[in-house]
Amino acid sequence: MPGAAERGAELREQMEAFVARLRGGGGRPRSEDTARHTLALLRKIIAHGHWGSAGELMELIRAEGRRMAAAQPSETTVGNMVRRVLKVIREEYGRLRGRSEESDQQESLHKLLTSGGLNEDFNTSYPTLKANVIEAINELLIELEGTTDNIAMQALEHIHSNEVIMTIGYSRTVEAFLKEAARKRKFQVIVAECAPFCQGHEMAVRLSKENIETTVMSDAAIFAVMSRVNKVIIGTKTILANGALIAVSGTHTLALAAKHHSTPLIVCAPMFKLSPQFPNEEDSFHKFVSPQEVLPFTEGEILAKINVHCPVFDYVPPELITLFISNIGGNAPSYIYRLMSELYHPDDYEL
Amino acid sequence: MAARGAARRGAGAGPGRGPDPQEEPPPPLQAVLVADSFNRRFFPISKDRPRALLPMANVAMIDYTLEFLTATGVEETFVFCCWKSAEIKEHLQKSKWCRHTSPNTVRFVTSDLYRSLGDVLRDVDAKSLVRSDFILVTGDVVSNFNISAALEEHKLRRKMEKNVSDDIVIAMDSATNRVLHYQRTQGLKRFRFPMNLFQNSIENVEVRHDLLDCHISICSPQVAELFTDNFDYQTRDDFVRGLLVNEEVLGNQIHMHVTTEEYGAHICNLLMYEAVCSDIIRRWVYPLTPEMNFTDDENQSYTHSKHNIYRGVDVSLGHGSVLEENVLIGQGTVVGSNCSITNSVIGQNCKIGDKVVLDGAFLWDNVQIADNVEIFHSVVCDNAEVKEEVKLKPHCVLSSQVVVGPGITLSEGTVISLHPPDEEEEDDDQFSDDSGVNKEENKVKLKGYNKKDVGSEGKGYLWKADDKNEEDEEEQRQSLWGKEEFRVVTWGWADRLFFQNEVLGTLQRGEEENISCDNLVLEINSLKYAYNIGLKEMMQVLSKVILEFPLQQLDANLDSQNYFSALLPLLKNWTPLFKNYIKRASDHLNALFAIEEFFLEHDSLCTSIAKVLMTFYQLEILEEDVILNWFSLRDTSDKGKQLRKNQRLQKFIQWLEEAEEESSDGDQD
Repeated sequence: MPGAAERGAELREQMEAFVARLRGGGGRPRSEDTARHTLALLRKIIAHGHWGSAGELMELIRAEGRRMAAAQPSETTVGNMVRRVLKVIREEYGRLRGRSEESDQQESLHKLLTSGGLNEDFNTSYPTLKANVIEAINELLIELEGTTDNIAMQALEHIHSNEVIMTIGYSRTVEAFLKEAARKRKFQVIVAECAPFCQGHEMAVRLSKENIETTVMSDAAIFAVMSRVNKVIIGTKTILANGALIAVSGTHTLALAAKHHSTPLIVCAPMFKLSPQFPNEEDSFHKFVSPQEVLPFTEGEILAKINVHCPVFDYVPPELITLFISNIGGNAPSYIYRLMSELYHPDDYEL
Repeated sequence: MAARGAARRGAGAGPGRGPDPQEEPPPPLQAVLVADSFNRRFFPISKDRPRALLPMANVAMIDYTLEFLTATGVEETFVFCCWKSAEIKEHLQKSKWCRHTSPNTVRFVTSDLYRSLGDVLRDVDAKSLVRSDFILVTGDVVSNFNISAALEEHKLRRKMEKNVSDDIVIAMDSATNRVLHYQRTQGLKRFRFPMNLFQNSIENVEVRHDLLDCHISICSPQVAELFTDNFDYQTRDDFVRGLLVNEEVLGNQIHMHVTTEEYGAHICNLLMYEAVCSDIIRRWVYPLTPEMNFTDDENQSYTHSKHNIYRGVDVSLGHGSVLEENVLIGQGTVVGSNCSITNSVIGQNCKIGDKVVLDGAFLWDNVQIADNVEIFHSVVCDNAEVKEEVKLKPHCVLSSQVVVGPGITLSEGTVISLHPPDEEEEDDDQFSDDSGVNKEENKVKLKGYNKKDVGSEGKGYLWKADDKNEEDEEEQRQSLWGKEEFRVVTWGWADRLFFQNEVLGTLQRGEEENISCDNLVLEINSLKYAYNIGLKEMMQVLSKVILEFPLQQLDANLDSQNYFSALLPLLKNWTPLFKNYIKRASDHLNALFAIEEFFLEHDSLCTSIAKVLMTFYQLEILEEDVILNWFSLRDTSDKGKQLRKNQRLQKFIQWLEEAEEESSDGDQD
């Protein structure tokens, strides 16, 4: 069918373009946009791909997902969305099979002993599977769009009048959070500029446009000012399975200072940023960009004798975090494992 | 490493008209990639592999260039190949740029007739391949620029921009970045700028010496036409110079784009190769880093670890081996125990033995290194083998398939290749691929391998750069490593030598045949016009020739006395000659400088300098003011100062001063 071949070719082109853009690493793509693109691409693959049963579909998605995730390991939302889609497929398959949702999820001791392990083979093909999965993905997309608003809606509970709030860098989620609170309350914000990219400047400009009293300061002054701060609210790039953060470089300093002064550290992040991976050497969520920002090339001779690194992200251990605010509400870091089991299936943790 | 303000080149030529209003959608951006450098800088490495395919961090150079073009948004690239075009074509056809999903279509144009950049551009014009502005690059450019800003500027101006390099001095108008004057340094320390640069109505002229040329140019379609019109434009330099000279006539302009934040480099010699390789590994060219695997090649997936260590798939490290920092190891390589590797690039499927020290080593694919080897700052090409206990000092090159025997130490700068060095003399057609093959086999059977060069089990010949002095080449002859070897032979010098010989001949004839001085003057004048020598230079040459004249007759007896006694009659005879040419004060000074130079060269005759000057003074060729002026010049070289300390000379100067006082007293009276 010429139509299918065309669509297949177009799909592959879009995949290539997406992978190339991920690899390019330039700019600072919004995680939400990346997530949305990934979901749209996966939906296309499901709609136009060649697959017969749920098993084949999952293999297909897994292969494509692995490729996309490998293009830029620090963009974890891509992998997260792939895992969500796999979970969706499993769910829809189970529903069509007739099993109830509950029994699928929990691997209780009783089940382990009696049934001798799950033997889902996903090989039966159901004609309505495609439509169901695509509809579920559409629901996911709608959920994605509402995340920022959901988070912002909780602002009033956490920010009180005449408080001094500290943040670092530029997070769109935190920006929405603070703007929502500013509609009803009056408070001050101190923004740490977050060298070497200095995105804190942009954040401060945007906040001050909403008539929020904003102060910008350098990262070195974080500890000095921390005693005057009531709360620290930050955004993050990824939430790891143990409740730790991969956030912009400089966040660890902020978290340590907050811990020292017993200031609560609140992380505003939507659920699609939650990744089932644990921190270890191999997976390297780290992104090292050109050292140009740290020590410009024009410095000349000295560059041959020294090594300059410019990491983009920081690791913040879970002990330093007080609260996670996500689109499903506020949670402690120790509860992350439960949230994860609801979002992803254990077999999908390794793509 | 030298400081580099990474300068971008944008080049485009065009008459200074404004842009036409565009009613139709803009045509797709095209690029012309010249995959041949038309010089032999990288011989003998590029005898086996074309320069565009040399691996930088295990990725061929041309891939970097294409990636840069694709990222800029180029939609159609024309790759022009000449030397080893089949290999380049094969490589690109297997790569991701020839898949039909690639946003950049690559078209090949091959011909064996290309001899220079000019030929390529003339072909571009003849085939009408480009429809609008295009980007012109060579195949060995590594950069992460986003040209779109300069493209926009270019479209606005539709003028040509120029980039400059480390050995180029450029004068530009700082307001519009327009290039006004351009000159290669060639090791000179002083430069001259024509006055009309500064006399135009341009307010600020900047002279830059610190920029690096990346050989990326944005050209407007007129560039190709200009090459067709001017048959003698062979290289980019010709073109720029021609354009700048004819600027007022044709209204074409060149502009330059300088950027300090992005990275761009053109690999013109092995030093640059080394530097850019280390920069890629230290992530200066982000996002073109090794682990990004932008070529989509399965063999090229690396994991990036601390201290810029990149390991490919299936790499095995022996016990006790240490990868210190800035190391790239290709797929399938096996490293033995107790090795120490720093700042190196190792290709695929290499085998490295035990206790090996690699520092700044660039090993390509399938290299075998035995135990106890030390390699510093060297390049080892494909399939080469290095046996036990070998030490390679810095800047060595082992070409393809070479074997270097056990226990040998190669001194700095050694180049070993399987191609015997004198094969080149018989190769008339330097760009033919296959004609040399049969000859090579025969040669190998005839000669054995020199054991001193390559060790007892070695295979290969010591390669020397071509020593033939080709005087009509404008560029300097540079060795593989980019260091300058011997004297600069430029157009001007060659002329001057000829002129000098001619003048000598004239004077000799004059002496033998007793030709009158007027006729001699006539002859020398006509020579001056024939060789286009300036007055000052002529003065210097003349003085030098005359002073050297006795030397030829005396041969061995370089004694001051004899010399002077031979010189005196000559000077007397040729006084009118001198008088004719030495009229103004500056001429006097020039003559004195020439005399000084001559005596500096011939130290043994120093003592007679006073007598010579005395003679000149008495024959009224030189005036005392000028002599005193010259003597009291402060900024002379050390040797010059020593010359002046010569006793007799000082006595002469003293006498002159007294004489002057007397004469001035006399005047007053």
